[in-house]
Amino acid sequence: MNVNSTQPLEYSTEQNRLNILGFWIFLGCEIMLFATLFTSYFIYENRTGSGPAGAEIFEITPVLIETILLLTSSFTIGLAVNAMRLGRTKAMLGFLAVTLVLGAGFLSVEIYEFIHYYHVGATLQTSAFTGMLLTTLGTHGAHVAFGLFWGLFIFLQIKKQGLTPQTANKSFIFSLYWHFLDVMWIFIFSFIYLKGMM
Amino acid sequence: MEFFERFAIPHPSPMIYASMVAIALVTIAIAVGITYFKKWGYLWSEWLTTTDHKRIGIMYIISALLMLFRGGADAVMMRLQTAVPENAFLDAQHYNEVFTTHGVVMIIFMAMAFIIGLMNFVIPLQIGARDVAFPRLNALSFWLYFAGAMLFNISFVIGGSPDAGWTNYYPLANNEFSPSVGVNYYNWALQISGIGTLMTGINFIVTILKMRAPGMTLMKMPMFVWSGLITNVIIVFAFPVLTIALLMGTFDRQLGTFFFATTDGGMDMMWANLFWIWGHPEVYILILPAFGIYSQIISTFSERNLYGYKSMVASMVLISLLSFLVWLHHFFTMGQGALTNSIFSVTTMAIAVPTGIKIFNWLLTMWKGKIRFTTPMMYSIAFIPLFTIGGVTGVMLGIASADYQYHNTMFLVAHFHNVIIPGVVFAMIAGLIYWWPKMFGFMLNEKIGKWAFWFITVGFCFSFFPMYITGLDGQARRMYTYSESTGFGPLNMLSFFGAGLMAIGFAVLVYNIYYSFRKSPRNIGDDPWNGGRSLEWATHNPVPEYNFAVTPHVISSEALWDQKKRGHQIFRDKIEKIHMPNNTGWPIMVAGLFFVFGFSFIFNIWAGVILSAIAIFGFMGYRSFEKDDGRYISVEEIKETEDKFGGANK
Amino acid sequence: MRELFPMKQVNGFIFSLLLTVIALSVYFLDMSFELGITILLITAFVQAGVQLIIFMHAGEGEDSKTIYTTLYYGVFIALATVFGSLLAMVWGYF
Repeated sequence: MNVNSTQPLEYSTEQNRLNILGFWIFLGCEIMLFATLFTSYFIYENRTGSGPAGAEIFEITPVLIETILLLTSSFTIGLAVNAMRLGRTKAMLGFLAVTLVLGAGFLSVEIYEFIHYYHVGATLQTSAFTGMLLTTLGTHGAHVAFGLFWGLFIFLQIKKQGLTPQTANKSFIFSLYWHFLDVMWIFIFSFIYLKGMM
Repeated sequence: MEFFERFAIPHPSPMIYASMVAIALVTIAIAVGITYFKKWGYLWSEWLTTTDHKRIGIMYIISALLMLFRGGADAVMMRLQTAVPENAFLDAQHYNEVFTTHGVVMIIFMAMAFIIGLMNFVIPLQIGARDVAFPRLNALSFWLYFAGAMLFNISFVIGGSPDAGWTNYYPLANNEFSPSVGVNYYNWALQISGIGTLMTGINFIVTILKMRAPGMTLMKMPMFVWSGLITNVIIVFAFPVLTIALLMGTFDRQLGTFFFATTDGGMDMMWANLFWIWGHPEVYILILPAFGIYSQIISTFSERNLYGYKSMVASMVLISLLSFLVWLHHFFTMGQGALTNSIFSVTTMAIAVPTGIKIFNWLLTMWKGKIRFTTPMMYSIAFIPLFTIGGVTGVMLGIASADYQYHNTMFLVAHFHNVIIPGVVFAMIAGLIYWWPKMFGFMLNEKIGKWAFWFITVGFCFSFFPMYITGLDGQARRMYTYSESTGFGPLNMLSFFGAGLMAIGFAVLVYNIYYSFRKSPRNIGDDPWNGGRSLEWATHNPVPEYNFAVTPHVISSEALWDQKKRGHQIFRDKIEKIHMPNNTGWPIMVAGLFFVFGFSFIFNIWAGVILSAIAIFGFMGYRSFEKDDGRYISVEEIKETEDKFGGANK
Repeated sequence: MRELFPMKQVNGFIFSLLLTVIALSVYFLDMSFELGITILLITAFVQAGVQLIIFMHAGEGEDSKTIYTTLYYGVFIALATVFGSLLAMVWGYF
């Protein structure tokens, strides 16, 4: 392995640079994945059949809590990468742990929200609108859930192996993923919830 | 017993039972053969676990050829059924299943696999790389594709084939009108192989952007590499749409949602919308690599640099953007207003412009060139007029108001076969013959190859040109029979005759492989076509596992040609040890788990779904702790290999 | 301790909270649909830009051109898909 010490650890090997670029292109794919979900959501938005409309079931409080949690977690994972570049392994692990806890908090509120939808009679099988709403939110939630496991594995690996070019690379890519989920949530927050409640 | 009832075929016929027996016998024969010749170890360690882009490419091509014969058999059955009026060879249901599987197999499992196979084999060689950026991911891509293909192909013996057309339109594809598990097979087979294709797209973009030989700037890449880059960009942005569309279809059929229903807010045409947002770029995913192959072949056998290199690149970039802006022309007749149709009609016709530029570039490359009529060149020359006819009828279909006449008739069928067969299939065959010596170290026989060419080309004309006429006369596509009074009989008989000629042509092609394997000389040197222009012809035949003993240096877009004619020096460095990826068994195992996952989901076996999903994630988690930095090939080993081929750095 | 909280990121975080508050105005204040959707479009895309540039380091490294090309291409096609589909399935019936 040729390690280039003039660059941050996550960019230090050729394979690392390939991985990071590859992940960016994967995020390009994810943009289209969510764009398709949004397309479908906007088309089904007013096709509520006999089920409720968005304004009738959305609640501002849980949505706001979710937004704050995810925005903060996006901030802390950014700090984790910063700490990693300073070589502060302990601080990095701390920020990573905070991120994962906030992510778990987000997911719990989202689960609460889903239960609420179930109780007010908005399920996958209610109408095309509620189905699409839950599919879009569910896809984002599944991404977050996957991210929690991924982040946990990276945490364990750094604990075991320390900050190596490999683990630094994984952490940086994980941070890209996590920020991206935040960006997608901003769009969900703006164009599903706020637009629906306006 | 109730559990097993779901696996029964809803619509059995003697032919299906016969193919069941045939599948079982062939599988047993292959297993016995491998055991008898003690090849399991070789197969596992050299092929099934390989991360070598060349071997993965060859496995893609072999799978694609298998699928070509599966889809071809379907095609011949369809032509046979419609050869005479009121034929009773197939019934309506069976005919539906045959045209559905023909379409899916040919597009997804044949053409896609063939282009990805050729890209896998050729692109790293043309850019002077050792392998792709992510070799293990590449193996996973292949095995996911293969798992999807196998899943799709077992449908007709376990549970029933899909029967709603390769476009799988709703409401026809919903539970009410397609009650068998066929459409579930469609959803999951495409989903699984689609994930593989997506990863291929990412892999190749990174490979092409980051792993080119020193000196090879973007504008010095061979045209096939350019076409590969653009194709993979389209893959990355188009396939997620299919992922979501299939997911919504799965939800509708298996979880009771109403996305594509006609009640409770559902919208059946939404499927068509999403399908074609993916589907139209998909057409360009198939044709752009074909354009790249023709560019290489025409330039090689005209002994001239490709005319208009920059305009070729610009037109491909333009095509890649426009390909995402035209999808609505597949359903002009849905009932939307004139303004919407006009917008998409204009974008559709605009695509003809960059495509036309490319046609003229090829013609001008041949102009005043020293043309050699080799088999690949003959396919390329036949491609130009035939593809132009297909393109022109495409512009006819692109006129929204006129499309009301052509829509859903045999005219459309004739059009898209007219672009796909001379466009994509000819390019695949030409590319396979052209790069065959690179893959296997011997040439295919030219004389037999030309026989195959004439059978296929003439057969193509007889098969599809009559459909333009019957289509304009009103013969609808996908109708399993027609009455004598329509007068479609004689022209359909002519189509069947043409299909027969094409079948003979493909049989000759296979015979040629067998014949050449036995008879062709093996001492063919590095550049057997005697006119190779790009880097792949600068290494040996067949290519050693490390591709190039030393990293090549590139000065112009015609690297090897300019070494021969202008004295450029490609190889300047000393041999050093080479870093290579290790083989690994996990891609095939993960793909196996995906197969189990898909199969369980298709039949609503939830225990299987959950267990295999846990296994997939567990595998990924476990593997993330593994460290694998690859291995090195020593200088002595490289020198030994190079001496066997007659020395390095000649 | 200070080096663990660089100004750039702290400011970015405060800015993104501010954008959230502005976006929330469409819920708490009474305004027309057009104005509301304009505010949401601006805050959402600015928010995405903040994340990409400040937190995701999209502009650093040797591949920033490729990364930006990927993003522009993706956003262009995403918008074409959203608005083309709306045109086809909802708006275009006249």
